[in-house]
Amino acid sequence: MADDAAILQALRAGDASALAALFDAYADRLYRLALGLLRNPDEAEDVVQETFLKALTHLDRFEGRSRLSTWLYRVAYNASIDRLRRQGESALPSDDRETEETGAVPLPQVLVEWRTPEEILIDAEARAALDEAIQALSESLRAVFVLRDIEGLSTAETAQVLGISPGAVKVRLHRARLALRERLALLFAGPPGGQGR
Amino acid sequence: MNCEELIRYLSDYIDRELDEELRADAQEHLATCRNCRVVLDTTQQMIFLYRRTGRRAIPAERRGRLFRRLQEAFQGSGTGTTADQAA
Repeated sequence: MADDAAILQALRAGDASALAALFDAYADRLYRLALGLLRNPDEAEDVVQETFLKALTHLDRFEGRSRLSTWLYRVAYNASIDRLRRQGESALPSDDRETEETGAVPLPQVLVEWRTPEEILIDAEARAALDEAIQALSESLRAVFVLRDIEGLSTAETAQVLGISPGAVKVRLHRARLALRERLALLFAGPPGGQGR
Repeated sequence: MNCEELIRYLSDYIDRELDEELRADAQEHLATCRNCRVVLDTTQQMIFLYRRTGRRAIPAERRGRLFRRLQEAFQGSGTGTTADQAA
């Protein structure tokens, strides 16, 4: 039961195996988005549950015009942002808004080559640095980076999920990429930059 | 194209969203500017690293618990075939 239309049709008919298909297709993706935003596995699990429950109670709304994946991501994103707001975190700091309007990004400062990906991937500290770097982004940049570069959504799909313009997605993605690169550059520097082999 | 412009277009270059003329300008700059080449290479490497490490599955125990709760909700809520709940 690979395609969304077949899954939805079977769910509407009360077919329990379709629930497994829906879950297998989307649970990990929704969990990663929620965890990326909330940084709390229990809360991310709750968001995934809320998202699926909402999908199950609104099965009749899907008519195949919008993609199920986009709708599910959007529900999970909004649920995550609601939780962040309740915790007092701003989803989009004002400095992001200002920079987004001008499109200005800081120029890269650390201009050294990195160790190879293979070397970085077997280094536990380097892997931890990847996690820390992404957590250091603002929620607005992190959401775009997770959806575009990790989950592989298109610019248009990401814009739909986040309820922003495609142009804003592009600006945020660019800022997120440069910020992550800059933060990781010294840690991942190859010889003769610092860490050495 | 200068370094500042190259950095401004970097993501569009990586995503192959530049028109042919700008792409050619960018390639011309990259051919002669080591610093911009380093920024391009390390940005692409960073994206690759996150793709490789970022697609994690829900831990098994959490996954099992979550699915069981959804199954209960699906079977108990009357979604699909079952009748409205007998209140």
